[in-house]
Amino acid sequence: MIEVRDVTKRFGTTVALDGVSFRLDKGEILGFLGPNGAGKSTAMKIVTTFLAPDGGTVSVDGIDVLRNPLEVRSRIGYLPENHPLYVDMMVHEYLQFVGRARGLAGDELRRRLEWVVEACGLGSVFRKPINELSKGFRQRTGLAQALIHDPEVLILDEPTSGLDPLQIIGIRELIQGLARSKTIIFSTHILQEVSPVTDRVVIINGGRIVADGRIGELERAAMGRNRIFVAYRAPAAAAEAALRDLGGLHEVRPVAGRDGAARFEVRADFGQDVLAPLGRLGQSHGWDLLELQESPFSLEDTFIALTRQGAVPREVSHV
Amino acid sequence: MSNAGVIFRREFAAYFNSPIAYIFIIVFLVLNCGLFMTPFFLAQLADMRDFFGNLPLFLIFFIPAVTMRLWAEDKRSGTFELLMTLPMKSSEVMLGKYFAAMAFYVVALLGTLPIPIMLAMLGKPDLGAVFGGYLGALLLGGLYMAVGIFTSGLLRDQISAFILGMLACFALFLVGVPAVSATIDGWVGGFGSFLQNAFGLMPHYQALQRGVLELGDLAYFLGLTAVFLVLNAVWLEGRKY
Ligand SMILES: Nc1ncnc2c1ncn2[C@@H]1O[C@H](COP(=O)(O)OP(=O)(O)OP(=O)(O)O)[C@@H](O)[C@H]1O
Ligand SMILES: [Mg+2]
Repeated sequence: MIEVRDVTKRFGTTVALDGVSFRLDKGEILGFLGPNGAGKSTAMKIVTTFLAPDGGTVSVDGIDVLRNPLEVRSRIGYLPENHPLYVDMMVHEYLQFVGRARGLAGDELRRRLEWVVEACGLGSVFRKPINELSKGFRQRTGLAQALIHDPEVLILDEPTSGLDPLQIIGIRELIQGLARSKTIIFSTHILQEVSPVTDRVVIINGGRIVADGRIGELERAAMGRNRIFVAYRAPAAAAEAALRDLGGLHEVRPVAGRDGAARFEVRADFGQDVLAPLGRLGQSHGWDLLELQESPFSLEDTFIALTRQGAVPREVSHV
Repeated sequence: MSNAGVIFRREFAAYFNSPIAYIFIIVFLVLNCGLFMTPFFLAQLADMRDFFGNLPLFLIFFIPAVTMRLWAEDKRSGTFELLMTLPMKSSEVMLGKYFAAMAFYVVALLGTLPIPIMLAMLGKPDLGAVFGGYLGALLLGGLYMAVGIFTSGLLRDQISAFILGMLACFALFLVGVPAVSATIDGWVGGFGSFLQNAFGLMPHYQALQRGVLELGDLAYFLGLTAVFLVLNAVWLEGRKY
């Protein structure tokens, strides 16, 4: 449905995108992640035809964004990162304006208006001037604008930025509700928001894609090894020495634990059973086992590892 | 409704969504009618020569004030991105904005209609000159408006857009003033006359003001207006790269 191939974009001497490629099938939802200035918004502006790529190709539903931008635009609903609102208008005037500009009229316009007002929870502010709305309602009005023409593709640039936790859940549920029928790309800084909505993510850093895949695969690919926390009631030095002798562990690192506990973070290869040996190690020394858990890397760890400049060589990425 | 029509409707309403529109129109009427009324009562002349004679200078301030927001405001808020990702050509968006600004100006001009009506009741004005004067006012305003919408696109800030628009309109005005073209001729032989003939608006405007309708004068205003609108459209497309 969306195909981005080898796209580059430069602003003066800044290279905003440097050979970016990814694709998205119909009905898929993509979480688009990256630190500030990574190039997320730039990539979205190119998909929505607001900007033209310097090199590479982008197509939406098989239509090239440079060759036929109007056809592409009619398929896309777009929420830019800055509220695209006319604050001198009322909410209903604004939505009517966008609806008409997108070719809706008459009964159809009325039906779509009712739908977006319901879906985005705008009933209470429908006849209010936009400059009197709170940030959350502004964001929802922006979202309503992107949905008014029932587009096949949604491009949402930080749809939850600046919202309170309840509103974030509201927007998340809205996106989940749309998921069945639409192809969606959304960018965000808040990683916990991603996994409830989708498990497909693309991580971009410094204008390059550093990871593309399912969250679980990425977590493993990025960190290479499994992470286990273990704690014994034991003298710290003795426990550490015993762990180092155990074999099969790649890394043993003391970490802070409760009083009297010697606590360690250890790394092992995926698929290798180290929990049982770690348990037996305690028994054989007569140490109480206080903690033993596998702690898979979170998306957050992955994100940090992949986007810390130079921390992870490109081969590690899942591209 | 056509694409440009949808934009027109929103932009025209936007002028009247703020009190500034009413202030603009009142200032326009008070200044113009005031400037006109004084000689009218002093010299007892039943014509609108002074009114139309003042316009080229007065509109240098008025029109850029009307056009300064056209792109600058959208660029400052996020709405520029909305407009440029609607399924319509950027030139359609531009024409909608341009004609909305023109319609606002026409509303201001309509406010001056009591003057010719009063003249017609009091004396025998040269109706050809009055008609020519209004046509000139429309064409002149249309040209300044095209300059103004173009310069509004170049800048993000409304006040800068206003000043740049004013300077550009003033330049068009100046090169048509004989004293100025003579001075430029003094620096670079013939260049001042060339500028005056090619771009100067006063000769064309004065012809219309006399009630003389010639193709050349119409072509000047419409042609130069089209040039600035095309420049604006080119800028809108070029900005993507
Ligand atoms: N119009 C522009 N002119 C010049 N540089 C730009 C422009 N737009 C973006 N950039 C630069 O391109 C790079 C990528 O910016 P972009 O806005 O795409 O990042 P982002 O991933 O969306 O960041 P954020 O999370 O802060 O929104 C940045 O270095 C930015 O400074
Ligand atoms: Mg951004």
